[in-house]
Amino acid sequence: MIGVAFRRLLSAIPVLFIVSLITFGLMRLIPGDPAAAIAGSGATPAEIERLRRDLNLDQPVLMQLVDYYQGLAQGNLGRSLLLGTGVFAATMERLPVTIGLSLYALVFTLLIGLASGIIAALRQNTWADQAAMMFAMIGISVPNFFLGLLMIILFAVHLGWLPSGGYVPFSQDPMGWLQSLAMPAFSLALLQAGLLARITRSSMLEVLRQDYIRTAKAKGLSQRKVVLKHALSNALIPIVTVVGIIVSLLMSGAVVTEALFSIPGMGQLLTQAVLSRDYPMVQGGLLLVTTFLVMVNIAVDVLYAVLDPRVRYE
Amino acid sequence: MKHSRLASTILAMGLGLPGLALAAPFECPSRGGDIMFGQEANVNSLDQMTSSTISTRNIAMNIYETLMTRDENNRPILELAESMEESGDGLTYTFKLRPGITFHNGKPMTSADVAASFNRYNRIGLQRSTLDNVAGWDTPDPMTFVIRMKQPQPTFIEALSSFSVPIVVIPSEHENDDRQQLRTVGTGPFRLMEFVPGSHARLGRFDAYRPNTSFEQRTGFGGYRVACVDTVTFRIVTEASARVAGLETGALQAVEDVPTRSLDSLRRNTAITILPLQNWWIQIALPNTANPPVNNLNFRRAVQAALGMEDIMDAATDGNFRLNVGFQFPNQPSYTDAGKETYNINDQARARALLRESGYRNEPIVILTNRDYPPMYNAALVMQQQMRAIGINANLRVVDWPTSVQMSQRVNSDEWHFFHSGWGTQPALGALATMQFLVSPNAQYRPRDEVDDPEVLAAWNAMNNERTAEARQAAFATMQRMILERVYALPFGSLTKVQAVRSNVQGFVPFRIPRFSNVWVQR
Repeated sequence: MIGVAFRRLLSAIPVLFIVSLITFGLMRLIPGDPAAAIAGSGATPAEIERLRRDLNLDQPVLMQLVDYYQGLAQGNLGRSLLLGTGVFAATMERLPVTIGLSLYALVFTLLIGLASGIIAALRQNTWADQAAMMFAMIGISVPNFFLGLLMIILFAVHLGWLPSGGYVPFSQDPMGWLQSLAMPAFSLALLQAGLLARITRSSMLEVLRQDYIRTAKAKGLSQRKVVLKHALSNALIPIVTVVGIIVSLLMSGAVVTEALFSIPGMGQLLTQAVLSRDYPMVQGGLLLVTTFLVMVNIAVDVLYAVLDPRVRYE
Repeated sequence: MKHSRLASTILAMGLGLPGLALAAPFECPSRGGDIMFGQEANVNSLDQMTSSTISTRNIAMNIYETLMTRDENNRPILELAESMEESGDGLTYTFKLRPGITFHNGKPMTSADVAASFNRYNRIGLQRSTLDNVAGWDTPDPMTFVIRMKQPQPTFIEALSSFSVPIVVIPSEHENDDRQQLRTVGTGPFRLMEFVPGSHARLGRFDAYRPNTSFEQRTGFGGYRVACVDTVTFRIVTEASARVAGLETGALQAVEDVPTRSLDSLRRNTAITILPLQNWWIQIALPNTANPPVNNLNFRRAVQAALGMEDIMDAATDGNFRLNVGFQFPNQPSYTDAGKETYNINDQARARALLRESGYRNEPIVILTNRDYPPMYNAALVMQQQMRAIGINANLRVVDWPTSVQMSQRVNSDEWHFFHSGWGTQPALGALATMQFLVSPNAQYRPRDEVDDPEVLAAWNAMNNERTAEARQAAFATMQRMILERVYALPFGSLTKVQAVRSNVQGFVPFRIPRFSNVWVQR
């Protein structure tokens, strides 16, 4: 298993290299001058030019690329043009917030998606199936931004149960963290929960029709045991693959959710960096986020092999 | 030493009023309490010397102070200086510092700190061109700071007191702090307690703050300032609906930029007070006079004659606007309506006649705008329709804001014909700061081959070099009239920004930054 993980890690290196190259290239290709953005609308060309020199943006692009990779080789992601701090430090301040939000949303996704998918499969073509699938459809169709707004109006303004926005770090107050992220996580989760419910339903239906399930039932096993031990464990194999993708989608969906609920995560940081053409922040931040997502997918691959003994990575 | 007229005016405003006024200095009706303010834009750093963003200024100008600043009507006033004298030859400005000022770290402020602040600004300050004509500065004693000029500059005080990227006074030991890495220690009524970029900045009352006794009340960025509340937290809430929800629930006690769609329901809420901040920015389109057919004056006049400013401003601002001729806000002493006959003509017959005279042959006209600032996009949309109504083949080109700025700055660009923008800080700073947009070498001026209109340039030079304020104002009026008559710019009107507070928050008066001195929480 360790060998599988190691080989996967090695194969991630070219992925990260390509991502870094694409990010670097795209940022230089899109129009917009970081020096002009930072200098503000009242700046003269001389002031913008001076700032460009201060920020080393007057170097040829090739030189900037060489500098970038030299820095990467030394573990240095550079300094954010806007924040003035190191990109790594800035990312490490924000990434845990987004990961926390995404994991919280993942819990909601799994609870809602798996439960409604299983119920729908077990009660196929009944009102429960219809209700679960309608719920899934609503989850897929309603934009999380709109859902978030509705939740703020209901739970914060009218009922006063939850804060309308803001973020409480887990280390300061775990209960406050749970409360501050409850609405963002739920609104983020619902779309993915709908997706997961549909996949779970079809995967469960396929497994439930298998001969070994029929055999298990014929042996007199309880419904609970048949579903949880024999059906779900096998249905989980394709579901686990999807979970890796869901984590990626939750992290990218966090961009909108973070803005709506005023959460200081990576989404807000990167959006602002892109709009301000903060090249080092976008390059370094995206590289670190990609690294995290690659790790998640490697973990999923390994888990896949654990769940299904037939899978062998050569 | 002989005072110049401007300096005397400043002295009168800064020092003469206490003797004339009878009112007692401001006292907090109640002390204590916490205010949470919902700010619309992110803050990257509180380094006021290297940031031009409004979001930084909102917070930093409650923490830092400057030698001179601006009053409620944006006129220069003294802040950390108790007096300023300009020499007769206009080559020296001598500032006597207010005694007893301490930094938030407890260190007494001296002229060495002022000199260190100027040194840092001159090294990395964003608008260090302010000091281009300064030969140097001296500190003859701990309470005196002298600025030596290379040559007389009648507008220097206007530039020095600018709040755009001000020369805030910092402790001398912070002189070498890197760009955006300035340790946040100032002399203002609030000190920084906590700053989490992207989330919030918490300020606490600075108990050792000594108000400026030259005034009785807060005025503009300065005046007699007292921190009444214990803490003020600026929370970043970028989504407008979330700011409104926070205000309704009481999670936020004050917010900026309330969307028009929420105003009706907020007005019905007795726990909330709506505070419109008029004259927030001037909505404007800039013609690309380097690019045919916009280089043709009759074509530009045709466009000017076709525009109905009420419709444009209504769409741009959801109804929160004031019609406004020219480049200054009506509440400013520098305001002039020179060129008013060119404004809001809205006459299609006249526009069509001018269009025929221009020889326009249905060439596609590109209106460059962006969606980052909805007022600019909406204004462009209506302008497009009004131009189409007279037979101009107008099309929108929508990009993001940084891209549109970069495109607009290319010399002799043929990619666009009208560029939509908004001017906020510069008009508030005065005519000089605004009209620099319309002469080279400013980034936003785009004459063919960068050759200025000589008459506009002459007026600009007069605005800078005339010795008296009256003569400079007359030059400004001339320049505005010429700019409007030659259609080098199309100002539409001024946008109102709406702020709101919980009704128990008292003393909050909308201004270019949310000021929390002389604000208290009614118990």
